[in-house]
Amino acid sequence: MSSEPVFVLPGDHIDPSLIPSHPKKPVRLGPGLRHVPPSDLLPTLAGQLVTDRQKNAIRVETSNGRYIPRVGELVIGTINKSASEVYFVSLSDYTAPALLPQLSFESATKKTRPILAPGALVYARVTLANKHMDAELECVSASTGKADGLGPLVGGMLFTVSVGMARLLMMPKKAQQGKVVVLDELADAGLQFETATGRNGRLWVDSDSTKTIIVVGRAIQETDQKSLGADEQRKLVKKLIKELS
Amino acid sequence: MPREAEPSLSERTFTLQAISEGLRLDSRKLDQFRPLELSFGDEYGVADVKLGKTRVLAKVSAEVTVPFSDRPFDGIFQITSELGPMVAPSFEVNRPTETEILLARLLEKTIRRSGALDTESLCLIAGQKCWSVRVDLHILSADGNLIDSSCLAVVAALRHFRRPDTSIEGETLTIYTAAEREPVPLSWLHSPFCTTFDFFGEDGEIVLVDTTWLEEQLRVGSVTFSLNKHGEICQISKLGGKPVEATLIIQCAQMALAKSKEFTDLVDARLAEDAKRRDKGGLMAELSAENER
Amino acid sequence: MPLDTSTYSLALLRIDGRRWNDLRRLHAQIHTQDAADGSSYLEMGHTKVMCVVTGPAEPQAGQKKGTVGSAQATGQKEGASIVVNVVVAGFSSVDRKRRGRNDRRIQEMEITIQKALAANLHTHLFPHSTITVSLHVLSQDGSLLAALINATTLAVIDAGIPMTDYITACTAGSTSSYAAGDDAADPLLDLNTQEEQELPYLTVGTLGDSDKVAVLVCESRVQVSRLEGMLVVGVDGCKQVRRLLDGIVKQKGRKMIKEGAVRRSDMMAVSLDD
Repeated sequence: MSSEPVFVLPGDHIDPSLIPSHPKKPVRLGPGLRHVPPSDLLPTLAGQLVTDRQKNAIRVETSNGRYIPRVGELVIGTINKSASEVYFVSLSDYTAPALLPQLSFESATKKTRPILAPGALVYARVTLANKHMDAELECVSASTGKADGLGPLVGGMLFTVSVGMARLLMMPKKAQQGKVVVLDELADAGLQFETATGRNGRLWVDSDSTKTIIVVGRAIQETDQKSLGADEQRKLVKKLIKELS
Repeated sequence: MPREAEPSLSERTFTLQAISEGLRLDSRKLDQFRPLELSFGDEYGVADVKLGKTRVLAKVSAEVTVPFSDRPFDGIFQITSELGPMVAPSFEVNRPTETEILLARLLEKTIRRSGALDTESLCLIAGQKCWSVRVDLHILSADGNLIDSSCLAVVAALRHFRRPDTSIEGETLTIYTAAEREPVPLSWLHSPFCTTFDFFGEDGEIVLVDTTWLEEQLRVGSVTFSLNKHGEICQISKLGGKPVEATLIIQCAQMALAKSKEFTDLVDARLAEDAKRRDKGGLMAELSAENER
Repeated sequence: MPLDTSTYSLALLRIDGRRWNDLRRLHAQIHTQDAADGSSYLEMGHTKVMCVVTGPAEPQAGQKKGTVGSAQATGQKEGASIVVNVVVAGFSSVDRKRRGRNDRRIQEMEITIQKALAANLHTHLFPHSTITVSLHVLSQDGSLLAALINATTLAVIDAGIPMTDYITACTAGSTSSYAAGDDAADPLLDLNTQEEQELPYLTVGTLGDSDKVAVLVCESRVQVSRLEGMLVVGVDGCKQVRRLLDGIVKQKGRKMIKEGAVRRSDMMAVSLDD
């Protein structure tokens, strides 16, 4: 199997050799693909076709467009308003809000639950995502009852990046696979900062120094908009650090 | 109607904090514009202005119509602008928002009321025939400072525009096509440009220019000056907002004058470039080849 | 058109006999309508406007968010929204032209007054409510926006809505037309229609006794060097207007005490007679 990326357009024919065929597991279709009975697969988005032989899954990945929630993904949302039981959280502009039950925070009870003002940020996991329903979120692991880093994000600054960039940033080995070295480079240059990335194309950065936050935000956004390679990213970081001092 | 997007609390506090320290998110200085790009289309009278992520396009067209009965010696000149759902889903067609009303009023005051275009020159036969010049302003994407970029686009498009040449012999009016006679520019009197200043801080003492959408959401007030390079104010509007010191406003006026001169130079340079580009081949070369025979 | 500037230089008197820094007669009444929460009537020369304030009240049904003219301070800060309506009577000016609700010029004035109020009133004290300001123009003779702002200030005071200070406005002009660049031009205060049509002018609105400019609208061509002079005269005029309006409010207060509408115990320690 060649490792060359395969690009598809909506309605393209997908080569059957690309479709994973695990003997036992059923084929799992990700976003951007539609099953046409009895056995055809049609792409509905333009992008890179990605297959995962182990999970027997296939999907189309795009780096543009608005975020569509999927179960299990980590997102950064903005509280819109609070209702009696839930918070309405907006994941992207001009879309229907997602629901975040007020009790799904770490050690939240009817009496002690976090009070979030409209405009506050939360780091949350998508628990329910159906096509025609509002998505649902949680800030606590349902099995362990621990927050695992989820919950309200206080202070810092939120930057908007493309959905594709957010995906690259969240890869476990982003330097090798995604060719994103900009954050590592910034850290090596001696800047101290904290980040959280949401799959909905949001990047939260916090630091003691205002300048550091601006530099980190600019580095990521510029890398994203100009789709810089690893070497260019290093150059960019050097330039920004120079400006800083 | 989809809700208008609003910045989160973190964005608000951080942006304001940074501004109070004299820093902006894109590392610009407080009084620095984003890189401004102006380009003209293949047709006459199309101007495309890019200011950071804000992009506006102005298109000028002209046709011969009957003048208004109360103004028989004047041509018709109008500027239409529309902010549609292409800019942001919160803008609806046919339901003008506050932004749109203020933008339309500002362009009207800056360009039409200040007499930048000599409307009397558009008259062909008094009371019967005149040119109707129309500018269609399309906002393609909005990331703050719509006013300055729109004004620049409209002025540049009007100065770039050429209308067909005409002649009157007795009662007959002849309109020549571009192949018969070279189209003529409009009778343009002066070029006003807008500069918007946005106020931040507790007493509105911090002044920013060319704000992005996020900064625009957080400002406590703003003032827009329209000036031409001769130092004539065509319009000032500080419509409400937090009161600011009068001395600050005078300072802003001086800055606006400098900025207006800069814009004038930019438009002049781009127009000259464009004229050069057109001059090479095109109609003149064609005609001169005929004359040589 | 007869230019009053030609005669001005002879006697330094304007067509209506005023000197350059004279305001026209400013007459105002406060609490003119019993049915409203706050109301006022204001004359600046022959410009006559009425203002009615309703609220802070629950938002009326059918009053949708974000409709034109009712532009409001959205945002996460919960506070009262302000709706301003300006109605210009058909008989108010000479040409008897009917101006519809969609006239951009009127909508701009509505937005200006709304934004000036939003920055000045303590709207955060009245969450989820609406303050409706209705303005009626009965007669126009220049300085219309200034008269509307002054009338609004009086009516809002009458309605008892807390605010930082008075917002007062007036117009200032310059005796030389925009074409001429002579430096001998005198600034003028409080222009009437005839002067507005011939001379460059601007409308200034300031906050209280300070030099802080809340509203500044200029629609005519004028040299930038002349802006400072006009602005100074305008700001000074606003202070004069403020003193006049303050006098009217205090006079009304005294009358209310005399009539027993305000109980002695409710009176503040401040003497109203100063």
